[in-house]
Amino acid sequence: MATLTQHPFDLATAWARYEPDERRPWNLAWAGHLYRRAAFGATWDQLQRALRDGPQRTIDGLLRPRADVAAFNRQHDELETPPNDENSSNDLRAWWLQRMIRTPHPLLEKMTLFWHGHFGVNATKVNSARTMQQHLQLLRKHALGSFREMLPGIMRDAAVLLSLDAKANRKALPNKDLARCFMETFTLGPGRFSDRDVHEAARAFSGWFVLQNQLRLIERERDSETKHILGREGRFTSDDVARILVEQPATSQTIVRKIYRWLISETVEPDERLLAPLAESFAKNHDVFPLVETLLRSNLFFSAMAYRQRMKSPVEFALGIVKGLEETVPTLPLAEALARLGQNLLHPPTAKGWCGGQRWINHATLAGRHNLAAALLKSDGPFGGKLDPAAVTGRHGSGSKFFLNLFLQGDAELHDGTDANTDARRVAYAALTLPEFQLA
Amino acid sequence: MNTMNQTRRSFIKTTLKAGVFASFAGHAPGLLARTAAARQERDTVLVVLQLSGGNDGLNTVIPFGDDAYHRGRPTLRQVARGAHKLDSHLAFHPRMEGFHRLYRDGLLTIVQGVGYANADRNHPGAMHNWHTADPRSPKLQTGWLGRAADRLWKPDAANVPAMFVGAIPQPFAANAEQVVVPSVRSPRELVSQYPPPAGRDVPSGSNPSWLDSLRRCTAQVQANNRRIESAMSASTRNDYPQFQLAQELRTIAQLIRADLGIRIFFTELGGGNIGGFDNHAGQLGNHCSLLHQLSESVAAFIRDLQRDQLHERLLLMSFSEFGRTVRENGRRGTDHGVAAPVFLAGGGLKGGLCGAHPSLTDLDKDGLKFHTDFRRIYATALDRWLGLDSRSVLGASFAPLDLFNA
Repeated sequence: MATLTQHPFDLATAWARYEPDERRPWNLAWAGHLYRRAAFGATWDQLQRALRDGPQRTIDGLLRPRADVAAFNRQHDELETPPNDENSSNDLRAWWLQRMIRTPHPLLEKMTLFWHGHFGVNATKVNSARTMQQHLQLLRKHALGSFREMLPGIMRDAAVLLSLDAKANRKALPNKDLARCFMETFTLGPGRFSDRDVHEAARAFSGWFVLQNQLRLIERERDSETKHILGREGRFTSDDVARILVEQPATSQTIVRKIYRWLISETVEPDERLLAPLAESFAKNHDVFPLVETLLRSNLFFSAMAYRQRMKSPVEFALGIVKGLEETVPTLPLAEALARLGQNLLHPPTAKGWCGGQRWINHATLAGRHNLAAALLKSDGPFGGKLDPAAVTGRHGSGSKFFLNLFLQGDAELHDGTDANTDARRVAYAALTLPEFQLA
Repeated sequence: MNTMNQTRRSFIKTTLKAGVFASFAGHAPGLLARTAAARQERDTVLVVLQLSGGNDGLNTVIPFGDDAYHRGRPTLRQVARGAHKLDSHLAFHPRMEGFHRLYRDGLLTIVQGVGYANADRNHPGAMHNWHTADPRSPKLQTGWLGRAADRLWKPDAANVPAMFVGAIPQPFAANAEQVVVPSVRSPRELVSQYPPPAGRDVPSGSNPSWLDSLRRCTAQVQANNRRIESAMSASTRNDYPQFQLAQELRTIAQLIRADLGIRIFFTELGGGNIGGFDNHAGQLGNHCSLLHQLSESVAAFIRDLQRDQLHERLLLMSFSEFGRTVRENGRRGTDHGVAAPVFLAGGGLKGGLCGAHPSLTDLDKDGLKFHTDFRRIYATALDRWLGLDSRSVLGASFAPLDLFNA
């Protein structure tokens, strides 16, 4: 079992770097925890290497991998590029899963997935795989970059406007739904703006049209008069609105709170005072990378406040299995299976993305997760026997406890008499259906 | 209606049949205690049945006593000949024997003249309005059943509040902001094919950890495996017709019988898109076949549930995106209209007709005028059947209809 001590952090030390000591030694449990949050799970070799390297060096590698990430992503962009006239994004969905599995920089994909949920663009409404691909590329470009640069890009992204039913922003009919969504969901949060702010911001969006999936500014539909937004006055354009929204402290608070939830804990709402220093420093330059770095390296991250305090999304659940078993699987059927579990990639239910947490789990989705685990491990069927638990144990030769250590780092035990002679698939399945495995 | 007692009895019956007490009490006493407590809450079930394409209400509940009907339908009126009379004015389509029997038994209510103001006559827009339940907000991102599911969700209950049963992509009405609304074809999809390893005793505190909840949910999956197997074997001897709708309804009956806590089921007839009930030409044969499927499938479903008195927990509601024109169009078909009847079936209903048949001469561009807003039916189902606050789901108050026995 993992040795986790409740550490009574004061606000001053919560975000300080974690340095292992006798009370909180660096061990397999913390390595597994780090790879669940900052990646999509780990192979046995990755866990072992992390044990040797220690936490901070392992985090260095997750933040700035040595591999040529740009080259990998360029190649993948080419591979996944859909034909111009392709409406369905189902292939793109599968390509993205493939990228999550193979990437040398999983943290980048993890944060791309975060932003996908944040902006909640739905491919059904976009109805063009190419436009969806461009949207995903925009998210990836800024995923660990600057929110200040990302937001104006989002405002001018054809996929975003199509997804929000805002492909024609006429001067005479300012699109208040669009403006409200930007303020309430993407930046400030509910209750932190007035109806007038919404109306005025909507005027600033006027003139933007999506014609044949291309964004166009139609000058005669642009409202170039003075607007009053959040206490400011000017002849604001949509870029100005993006700037004004980013500069609001409420926006930094929203983003920091949401990334905290993504990387640290969904179970307990964090205290305002705990997040304040992070929000203040995020507000200076809106860089995501240092925020993520602070969170991952912190004492709080390596504490009971964070450990197993998130529910795995279907993507995290499935990819944790795939990564651990050191192979890739056919991702077209995998994307379908994840949709049935409630996470249809590129098709979030609303602009708010996936609610997640305990809502991922009910008796139907849990049975579905068990069945997906079984299907992934099977030697035939849609996943074609790509994963081979026996081969993985063979390589690392650790007996029947191996899968409990690989997938759960010893956080749970099996009671049903599996031993060294039990079939590897059966032991792996038993480990993957333990309740503990659902927690990230 | 004595729903509570009836339900408790049938719960114990299924539980005993499945041998669930003995086997899962061993490792999850907390779960059992909780399940028994949960019985105190309402466990009524709503089944919503979408008829895709715009059903011709006039050839479903036929106003054979009205000359205007015969004038408007020179060829399509031939179905009036063998129709099943409800009174001196109205009759069910001749192939709707099942509905006619349910009606005579007081298990079916026809709400007449249902629609809404400024009705959309295009398929996607009209269907979207019925799905969002807010015709003025076409950009609404959730459906009314999805919002009801979000309201029904409780932490640590492990329950599925709502489920779509069918082969088509899940219609928008089920789109929820928060909860996962699964789509299934067979109850077997809710069974884990290989039993997960045995769990440990779960402490049932007032504020259980997520791990406790997961352990309880895992125990629930194991218990459900047995309940579903038992419910599936309980209905094999049942006589459901071979229609796809009948099979979907059979699945729903099995899931109701398995008593998994699912409050809302949603299914469909017609294929989801244009087609189905959208008969602009040569309507007679296709419409006849669809109505027959509808009527016989629903009747088999109600009869099946009646065996265990489970129909008393059930309210089934059909809807279609619009009715059709009074006059046939010269191609022996009908075009998009406005108002149409909504059918309700189940053991708690008063039965009979609700509201007058709309006039066939005072028309809205050849469509029947509505007098009952569809959201009054939604609100009645939400408030008085599911026990939810309909305002929180529909965003406004709608006058309830007097549909249920006291």
